[in-house]
Amino acid sequence: MSDAYIALADGRVLEARTRAPGRTRGELVFTTAYTGYEESLTDPSYAEQVLTFSYPLIGNYGVRAERFESDSVQPRAAIAREMTDDVAEWLESEGVPAIDHLDTREIVTTVREEGAMACGIAAGEDATPEDAIEEMEACEPMSAHVDIGAGVSVSEPTVHEGGDEATIALLDCGAKGSIISSLTERGADVHVLPYDATPEDVAAVEPDVLFVSNGPGDPENFVAAQEVVDAYAGDLPMAGICLGQQVITSALGGSTEKMSFGHRGVNQPVKDLRTDKVVMTTQNHGYTVADTGPLEVTQVNVNDDTVEGLDSAELDVITRQYHPEANPGPHDSLGFFDEVLELAESRQPVAAD
Amino acid sequence: MSEDRTILLIGSGPIQIGQAAEFDYSGAQACRALQEEGARVVLVNSNPATIMTDPETADRVYIEPITPEAIAEVIRLEEPDGVIAGLGGQTGLNVTAELAEQGILEEHDVDVMGTPLDTIYATEDRDLFRQRMENLGQPVPKSTTISLDDDESVTDFDEGALRERVQAAVDEVGGLPVIARTTYTLGGSGSGVVDDFEELVERVRKGLRLSRNAEVLITESISGWVELEYEVMRDADDSCIIICNMENIDPMGIHTGESTVVTPSQVIPDDGHQEMRDAALEVIRDLGIQGGCNIQFAWHDDGTPGGEYRVVEVNPRVSRSSALASKATGYPIARVTAKVALGKRLHEIDNEITGETTAAFEPAIDYVVTKVPRWPIDKFDDVDFELGTAMKSTGEAMSIGRTFEESLTKALRSSEYDPAVDFAEVSDGKLETEYLERPSPDRPYAMFEAFDRGYSVDDVVDLTDIHRWYVERFENVADATAAAAEGDFTAAAMAGRTNAEIAAVAGDGGTTADVGEVESTVPERTFKQVDTCAGEFEASTPYYYSARLPEFLAGADTAGAANEVRVDPDVESVVVVGGGPIRIGQGVEFDYCAVHAVRALRELGIDAHVVNNNPETVSTDYDTSDGLFFEPISAEEIADVIETTDADGVMVQFGGQTSVNVGEPLKEEIERRGLDCSVLGTSVEAMDLAEDRDRFNVLMDEIGVDQPEGGTATSREEALDLAHRIGYPVLVRPSYVLGGRAMRVVEDDEELERYIEEAVRVSPDKPILVDQFLADAVELDVDAVADGEDVLIGGVMEHVESAGVHSGDSACMIPPRSLGDATLERVREVTEDIARALDTVGLLNVQLAVTGVHDPDERAEVYVLEANPRSSRTVPFVSKATGVPIAKLAAKVMTDRSLADLDVDEQIPEHRSVKEVVLPFDRLPGSDPRLGPEMKSTGEVMGTARSFGKAYDKAQDATGKPIPDSGTAVVDLSAEEFPDPDTAEGEALVEGFSEHFQLSTATDLIEAARRGEIDLIVSRQRELLEVAVEEEITYFSTHASAKAALEAIDHADDDLDVMAVSDRPKRVENWGE
Repeated sequence: MSDAYIALADGRVLEARTRAPGRTRGELVFTTAYTGYEESLTDPSYAEQVLTFSYPLIGNYGVRAERFESDSVQPRAAIAREMTDDVAEWLESEGVPAIDHLDTREIVTTVREEGAMACGIAAGEDATPEDAIEEMEACEPMSAHVDIGAGVSVSEPTVHEGGDEATIALLDCGAKGSIISSLTERGADVHVLPYDATPEDVAAVEPDVLFVSNGPGDPENFVAAQEVVDAYAGDLPMAGICLGQQVITSALGGSTEKMSFGHRGVNQPVKDLRTDKVVMTTQNHGYTVADTGPLEVTQVNVNDDTVEGLDSAELDVITRQYHPEANPGPHDSLGFFDEVLELAESRQPVAAD
Repeated sequence: MSEDRTILLIGSGPIQIGQAAEFDYSGAQACRALQEEGARVVLVNSNPATIMTDPETADRVYIEPITPEAIAEVIRLEEPDGVIAGLGGQTGLNVTAELAEQGILEEHDVDVMGTPLDTIYATEDRDLFRQRMENLGQPVPKSTTISLDDDESVTDFDEGALRERVQAAVDEVGGLPVIARTTYTLGGSGSGVVDDFEELVERVRKGLRLSRNAEVLITESISGWVELEYEVMRDADDSCIIICNMENIDPMGIHTGESTVVTPSQVIPDDGHQEMRDAALEVIRDLGIQGGCNIQFAWHDDGTPGGEYRVVEVNPRVSRSSALASKATGYPIARVTAKVALGKRLHEIDNEITGETTAAFEPAIDYVVTKVPRWPIDKFDDVDFELGTAMKSTGEAMSIGRTFEESLTKALRSSEYDPAVDFAEVSDGKLETEYLERPSPDRPYAMFEAFDRGYSVDDVVDLTDIHRWYVERFENVADATAAAAEGDFTAAAMAGRTNAEIAAVAGDGGTTADVGEVESTVPERTFKQVDTCAGEFEASTPYYYSARLPEFLAGADTAGAANEVRVDPDVESVVVVGGGPIRIGQGVEFDYCAVHAVRALRELGIDAHVVNNNPETVSTDYDTSDGLFFEPISAEEIADVIETTDADGVMVQFGGQTSVNVGEPLKEEIERRGLDCSVLGTSVEAMDLAEDRDRFNVLMDEIGVDQPEGGTATSREEALDLAHRIGYPVLVRPSYVLGGRAMRVVEDDEELERYIEEAVRVSPDKPILVDQFLADAVELDVDAVADGEDVLIGGVMEHVESAGVHSGDSACMIPPRSLGDATLERVREVTEDIARALDTVGLLNVQLAVTGVHDPDERAEVYVLEANPRSSRTVPFVSKATGVPIAKLAAKVMTDRSLADLDVDEQIPEHRSVKEVVLPFDRLPGSDPRLGPEMKSTGEVMGTARSFGKAYDKAQDATGKPIPDSGTAVVDLSAEEFPDPDTAEGEALVEGFSEHFQLSTATDLIEAARRGEIDLIVSRQRELLEVAVEEEITYFSTHASAKAALEAIDHADDDLDVMAVSDRPKRVENWGE
């Protein structure tokens, strides 16, 4: 009956049902969000990962392109307790293996206990457990994907016009569509630059703000982006989300580290240290800031005290580890984008001189 | 911060339709939370059957009517610093508002803590609420009225002008279809969805003519939209979270309490969910709510990414839905609400379930929760149980599964509901109109039936208006069942069926398979944890549900996946079986008993595990037991719990008939699996014997205890023979009774035959009991605990009503007042004899009838009517009145402690406590409001005072139907129940009432009652009493209650006698010795 296998780095092979055939491998992670599967599956931060949904029923309200965060499915494979035909057909058409009818809670608790781990999937008529093991054994650690940005970034600069409130240079390390639309909705023109853009490329768009996007993998592999940050430190206001926060921190002299299994979900509580107020945030990261360098911590995760927000008045930097742009997840922190626009304003008098 | 503060907590009073055990759960949890913060808690509730009114729940417990007078007295005595209004349901809110309006809170410097009263007013006034939402820019269903000016009438209204107004109204609410509702007509007639303009014009014309205020309300039709609820929490620092959302399977238009509800939402995309989440947060912030709150939305897919929504209603307090949300997610809303009211911030409150995180956290769940209501459809032949905007259900069951199919099937099983209809006899046409289009308790079963008949998903969606995603899954369940009948068992197992159910289905389908064969071919069930975080954090709280493993897992390495239950096998442990959903005849009393059993076990150092499925109750609070298993109550599922916890014993005495009924199959299942676990206490055989009338008769004869003459009939002829031998009137009922289901007093052959034909359809496997009806007897209830040798009498209660009224519907008092010492001695003797004869170990309830009590020095005749070696609904009342915790004692003797070892005394209270019942007639239009042999009450209250009269008066106050002491009364003694007006007794009644009331001289009493000219009614005329129910006029339908009312009126001016339960005087003395 079973025609799909997932091999885990801990040596186990679990049986499952094929929903979209294929063989693949990646870092096994989970998200606890129970809505927003379309947004998650198109979130570039999931590149090179195998995404497990802890919520058992995925695909209930169909698949619509207007809810996508990028134009393709990003994780290497998807796992749920049960997927609807809608979502299975979509994944199959995108060539992304998908499996269901397995105990996803077992996968989640395994990842929780042992950390994000390599896995291999073999799904389809002729799939064997050995195929899955072979895939798993070929799986490289996340930090080995040194050029992971290439697969998720624009290759040429593109412009999204929002108005004349500000000009933002967005380093696309795997940006979610909602980051761009959150900025254009506020009247900013967004120049999306490839992940490996040079300081000169940035200068060419004459930005008010340099924005480093979210993205997959190890922030230390985004060397070009770090160089851009380094080049403009103190001269250009900067903002970053998720991997963007990590890239900026690292470039400014701080450091990052890999977490055991990261934060992936839409219910991560974040406390603002200035107001003591807690908001719910969307998160998707496997790395976190270890040393904040010159930046000041403004927000922390209520559960584990990891850094959620950084700030430097001197350097004109604000960053978030979580995803204020939501999609999926709560809209509690959309105000971040207003702050980004304010950064641009503070910049404008300087530009006028 | 809260050290030394005294907080007053007001409960919700009796269990009634719309306000059930959820407030016992939330109140008890809040008490604990407040005490954790160092506060001194004073609790007031009139409902003795609750855990919250246990002396150990709060620092001071008052079982007093929830009236401004009684609570003002408590405030004077206890001088609280604050009162929390949002935890006692609508009752608690209303009385707090009244106390504030009367200036009592201000006078005594009592702060309203948590959500401010203004907020409450703002949500309760529809216009204010609408205005507020409009100011926020939140969409509410559009609405307008068509009305006539003072000088206009429908007759002189010209057609063109009418059409113009109707068109304008339609345009204003966004076009057809609309809901046209005539305001202020009786019974809400003339309300409905209209999609045709001509029809609407006709409706408006008719409505304007019928309406008392010449108004027709036109509302945007959102019927068919998905109805959702969001549970929100906010602290004083403005941190806000959503605990969960809940999606009603039944579309908009059916009360959420009547709807099958699923958590989390299944059919709402993230955009739509987040938009409603935003709206919920905006609304709770604007209202300034501190604590828990519930917001209802209507949503539909209008083609945009997020769909379209409307804000329907806000409930600024802890509610039935918040109890459900707490159980569904593990997030303790009442606990957090109480702490927030004391000024704590969400991130300062621990998440007890994970132990790692805080209350500033939105639960993530990795399972599907389904709630199914339970309706008293079997009790009210005359009531139409079409589901609508008003609640008619008494309780609910919740279940948890890994798929919707599993969750749904478990929920339906948990509800213990069996449709009365035999679908085989229902035509397709009738199935469509009566059972699919028309929402009723039978609809889920009708959907399965439709799929069995080959209806398509499209057909069923069209007929029911239920969302396609759900309908498809109903089809899956039906298909899986059909496959099981053909011998393919896996799908049915995955869809949540038990192995026993599958074996039965297979048997019906001609495939013989025993449970063992099914068991060996389908994936097994294991237990998973409810952890608030979908596995992200390790949780330590032992809250579990079962789910079938995925069908492939059996073949793989399943280490770790098998079971998340963590118990210490070296510790002695016992499984306590709960009572399932609350229904008439099986109320919160049994949850009280189950919780007490758990507490007793834990006091002895024994681990106690609970199996139950009622989300409203204390027994299903995660920290009540050492292991909470949220499961249907079936032998197979209980055995799973026993097997996984390696329990040494199981208790089935405490959960009412539900748990007693499972005793025998459970014993067989334990044997089949070879488990080393015994059913504790009185043997299953003895419980069975007590319910078998013939064997019980023989036993009583053997020990010399009298019984009313009677017997069991398995056919019409036998019943008639028995009745003739006994002589009419006789009492008839089915042999296995739950709350006196279908019990009746019949006067002659004709009535008896009709009863047999219509009510019970007697057959050899469904026998009926025919008993002598002891007309002038005083009925007693005795609750006792026996350990196999000694018997401890908890209390002897005397019924106020006579034998024709079901014991569950009769007011009763403790101690009794009509019995002389000699009779009480005999009562003790009989109780002890029965306890020994049944080898009772644990609780025993005996119902007795005593004739000839007129002379207290004479020893009256004592007859036994019934003996039940298990918990009874009077156990908590007895415990509260006497201070002797008999349920706990029972649990202890069941684990081999003797009464002698436990060293407890019987206690007789010096004050008189009256238990009065609360009846649901106002919620069930068409029901017969006369008391009789069929139990109809949903809950109870307790009133205590020095005199019976005052205690009865207080009890009536507590039911919300206070006895007026002046005004106009109707004393209509025409019914046989009452004494003839010419007799001395009749005269006494008439004169008694005429001393306080003007007797009505109206020729048309019904009309007079409608006009508000009547304040009190003594009568048994059904139509008049129905009007009394509608117009909220206090009435008495029996001679006994009318006499008691007179006594109450005589004591109306006595001191209110408000006193903490533990302060009420009792004397250590054995009953009847």
